[in-house]
Amino acid sequence: MELDVVENRLLLIGPNGVGKSNLLEAIELVCSLRSHRCSRDQDLIHWDKNEAIIKAAANHGDELQLELRRRGGRKAWLNEKALVRQLDLIGPLRCVCFSALDLDLVRGEPALRRNWLDRVVQQLEPVYSDLLGRFSKLLRQRSHFWRNSRNHSTHDRFALLNAFDIQMALVSTRIHRRRKRALEYLQPLASQWQETLSNGKENFSIDYQSGSVLQGEEDEHSWRVSIEEQLLAQRDNEERLGSCSVGPHRDEIGFLLNGVFARRFASAGQQRTMVLALKLAELELVGQIYGDSPLLLLDDVFAELDRTRQLLLLEAVGEKYQSLITATHLDVFESSWKADSQILEAENFKGFIDIR
Amino acid sequence: MPGIGPRTAQRLALHLLRQPEEKIRSFADALLAARSQVGQCQKCFHLSADPICEICKNTEREKDLLCVIADSRDLLALERTREYKGLYHVLGGLISPLDGVGPEMLMISSLVKRVDQEGVREVILALPPSVEGDTTSLYVSRLIKPFAKVSRIAYGLPMGSELEYADEVTLARALEGRTTMD
Ligand SMILES: [Zn+2]
Repeated sequence: MELDVVENRLLLIGPNGVGKSNLLEAIELVCSLRSHRCSRDQDLIHWDKNEAIIKAAANHGDELQLELRRRGGRKAWLNEKALVRQLDLIGPLRCVCFSALDLDLVRGEPALRRNWLDRVVQQLEPVYSDLLGRFSKLLRQRSHFWRNSRNHSTHDRFALLNAFDIQMALVSTRIHRRRKRALEYLQPLASQWQETLSNGKENFSIDYQSGSVLQGEEDEHSWRVSIEEQLLAQRDNEERLGSCSVGPHRDEIGFLLNGVFARRFASAGQQRTMVLALKLAELELVGQIYGDSPLLLLDDVFAELDRTRQLLLLEAVGEKYQSLITATHLDVFESSWKADSQILEAENFKGFIDIR
Repeated sequence: MPGIGPRTAQRLALHLLRQPEEKIRSFADALLAARSQVGQCQKCFHLSADPICEICKNTEREKDLLCVIADSRDLLALERTREYKGLYHVLGGLISPLDGVGPEMLMISSLVKRVDQEGVREVILALPPSVEGDTTSLYVSRLIKPFAKVSRIAYGLPMGSELEYADEVTLARALEGRTTMD
């Protein structure tokens, strides 16, 4: 399938299951190497094919290519040059994705907010993925260790847990620091958007409740030492419960509306506005840091936004951000959204239909 | 066979089928002989046909310098650099509870005994910079520190890459730039 995006806005209209989200997912993958819907490459490849290829050509001349293979992992090319580090594909094109999954960002479980924040940080700092991968590996190794810990002598156990603690303290410190910093960047932007979206009535603030106690000013050494102490202190509890209670996996990102926790006290409408403010803040932040507006991918969220919010979103996004939007029906869009848009109505664009 | 794709496998198979019977027989004998004769060196646990391997027997090598690696492949990679003149100790794997590998399954206690009894001055840990490699390095270094100086290869390697694939120049540089573990 080949698609030439000629307007600043692309509206993809069609019933569920025709592959609209798939198309946005492909764009997200080639921009960021990850998909908001799916974590296994196996599920991204057509069931009777061995590979999937995504190519993107940007206006400024860069050509990106990502190949997903059933066996042997991924391969990436930039301007027809095979990349040794796939991470180097991230950069020429950036995107921010707002999907139906994000709608629960304020009211859902803490893990949802951590994942969202991690995606933002990954946009800003691709190597952050290494830290996350390392931390989750450490957690898994540690919990497996507890499951079989009776096989070890007390001395061995102590020594091995120390080895885990030292690594976890360092990686935790680095994750906490990056999450905290990203939230400090996002907070003023989100608060500005909330003010705009609520006609100045609502105030949005963020409270980072880190899963480790971060003592004093930001300092890698003192945070690390203190987290090591906290890990040691919870060890007896950990032995009983089988799970570690200190670290970024216990982070909660509290969103406050007019000073109270929105998860419990804000109305559904207010929560939705906050989600919108957060996504706009993310869009603005990525644009600010790179000096180039990212693509905005809106997957199936339009039907969930009322007229007022749609108009405010249009005003915010305006001409500044190229956006690709999916919806099941064209009539969910306010008429001003439809103007100047490339509209693609597809009953079924599976297979090899050229939709140019 | 590890590292061989279907196409290469096919090429190798066809090549073997075209060889004279005599050649195939000696090849098969060599494989059998390797399987039955190659064991482990009793000192360093490197692959060896004799009870003590060539490296441990070599009197030219520095006896008070010990390099700790996960397996024999890493030893061969380091030998190719021709930079390292000390002896080795092969752990036989890395600590990984996820894979059911605890410290007691590796050659760690024999390492501590060796360092203590053979007057080793310095131990260089050359384990991969993965979670498992770091866990093993930290665990081992605590045990050895009472007896010898412990340092660690300073990798200029991308996170997650294994020692085996590192090119020789990088490895040689890493050996020079080792850092003492605290
Ligand atoms: Zn030996």
